[in-house]
Amino acid sequence: MNDILLDVKCLKKYYKVPKGILHAVDGVSFSIEKGKTLGIVGESGCGKTTVGRAILRLVEPTDGSVIFDGIDILKLNKKEMRNMRKEMQLIFQDPFSSLNPRKTIAQTIEEPIILANMIPDKDKRFMRVIELMEIVGLAERLINTYPHELDGGRRQRIGIARALAVNPRFIICDEPVSALDVSIQAQILNLMKKIQRENDLTYIFITHDLSVVNHFSDDIAVMYLGRLVEKAPSEELFLNPVHPYTQALLSAIPVPRIHNRPKRILLRGEIKSPINPGSGCRFANRCNYAEPVCSQEEPVLGEIEPNHFVSCHFCHNFNKGRQNVPLPKVCAEG
Amino acid sequence: MDAKKVNTQENTLEIKNLEIEYFSDDGIVKAVNGIDIFIKTGKTIGLVGETGAGKTTTALSILNLVPEPQGKIVSGEILLEGKNVLTMNEDELEDIRGDKVAMIFQDPMTSLNPVLTIGDQIAEGLEIHRKISKKESIKQAKEMLELVGIPGDRAGEYPYQFSGGMKQRVVIAIALACSPDLLIADEPTTALDVTIQAQVLMLINELKDKYRMSMLMITHDLGIVAEVCDEVSVIYAGNILEHGNLKDIFDNMLHPYTKGLFDALPDIETRRSELKPIKGLTPDPTNLPSGCPFHPRCDYAMEVCFSVMPGNKWISSTHCVQCHLYKDTDKNML
Repeated sequence: MNDILLDVKCLKKYYKVPKGILHAVDGVSFSIEKGKTLGIVGESGCGKTTVGRAILRLVEPTDGSVIFDGIDILKLNKKEMRNMRKEMQLIFQDPFSSLNPRKTIAQTIEEPIILANMIPDKDKRFMRVIELMEIVGLAERLINTYPHELDGGRRQRIGIARALAVNPRFIICDEPVSALDVSIQAQILNLMKKIQRENDLTYIFITHDLSVVNHFSDDIAVMYLGRLVEKAPSEELFLNPVHPYTQALLSAIPVPRIHNRPKRILLRGEIKSPINPGSGCRFANRCNYAEPVCSQEEPVLGEIEPNHFVSCHFCHNFNKGRQNVPLPKVCAEG
Repeated sequence: MDAKKVNTQENTLEIKNLEIEYFSDDGIVKAVNGIDIFIKTGKTIGLVGETGAGKTTTALSILNLVPEPQGKIVSGEILLEGKNVLTMNEDELEDIRGDKVAMIFQDPMTSLNPVLTIGDQIAEGLEIHRKISKKESIKQAKEMLELVGIPGDRAGEYPYQFSGGMKQRVVIAIALACSPDLLIADEPTTALDVTIQAQVLMLINELKDKYRMSMLMITHDLGIVAEVCDEVSVIYAGNILEHGNLKDIFDNMLHPYTKGLFDALPDIETRRSELKPIKGLTPDPTNLPSGCPFHPRCDYAMEVCFSVMPGNKWISSTHCVQCHLYKDTDKNML
């Protein structure tokens, strides 16, 4: 745990809406080591995208700190932040709407280089664009094509090339393969892994697709309604999910096989509103194990095993396949 | 599939040698190229394929909804309980649409009318097809809502007042209101979160059994196929490359494309470092490859594949594949 590149502490993003305060992200903390990938999973509206944007200050966080390589970037002024953005880039979800339709591939990839004023010489810049296209597997003949002429997979390659253009150390990938077909999705995931290895990149990989995140990440953080409910190394999380929400989420994945189908844990009801969520565990209204304490007291994120963090009043009871043991009333630890 | 191999009496739907083309500025788009689909009463067939494979076009053709004039059903017949849909006049079509055959569309956010209450939208079909009074139809609409797990007294609310999962339940209630013999579900859960998807799939499974409905399930997700379907057709570039029951397709897949689809999926249990994508891209539908449409991406392509379209090879009474690697009743060559 020494080589930490990014340390996020108690990150909050609230929005004022007519009905009250919308808690999009509510006190999320985690850290990522250099060269590793943290997967953030959760369902729509859980705040995973907002976490990504708040880290890059694309939305201004309400509270908390984001320490990147020892520097608290929330304290940087506009000019310093602009410099910092060279280190931190973003790959967007939808390769259909995140590219400017009136710019060619070359112009799109070149733009961040110009903005960062990295290669003033035009010819050298052009060579760099060609180089980047080669890295992401785009044929040189496509250099003057426009986004509408290309399929989703190629467009996402442009998005990756654009993110790589300024030699970042850290990239947030926000659902980079959700819009793609499986056969193309595998190509892009392999490419992103290869680039990570070759450039020693650190990734945050935001997705709702649990099989993809398991394949791609070293650690996985599960979010529910603006909060982190569980974080563990990927294998540990899939083998031994502790939080009732994580268990239900994992059991809901439709697995493509017909034998040994996993038993499904069905959740009641729907996610509650993030506007004025009130006290208590936010999952309590859907939880199969909820007790009165759950709707009164907020559970704290505690480390139940090395590197395995859970935020649940009863996390110790759910551990190690003892889900069916009657639950004594205990309070959160850690 | 040979017509003589199936008993016509027990099929709700028979699609024979269907060909559909679209006319565009770039030329003729061959969307569907001579497919056969037979759905036995009470059974569910999964139509699996990637973007542009012709899944949705096939679904639309069953209700003769292929947009004209740019789209045209060039040949084939679609027999719904023995009657050819393609020769029906507009009045006859109106009679079966929403009554005998109902459809669930992919996106519940756009398939509901935003200015009508959900009660009115469910009642509309009942009023038209059952020729009952408005009052009676609203009463039945409320019962339908209860059936899909929404309190009946919310019938007076508008779509924006419901979450995505609930909207899709409303769409299902509309589709099932007249207890159709055939339900066409076009990616019914793609827009939903996994835990909500699990709820909706379970609901579809329950209702399907309850009403002994036949179903055509269109999806790109093999996990969903494993969960709800009895048989699977794998469609690629408007051709059904492989068809079989779940065991045939999941345990005994024969076509290199089917195999490629499975291999490209990240496995949730074993984390391989490298995914196996299918090389290349889906073909341009205005300019399909000669011979087998999959040959440019196929690792097993032989000379004959470049020029001759393989016919249906029956491996067993349930399992059929279009590939030169196999002869009738030939097995396990991959």
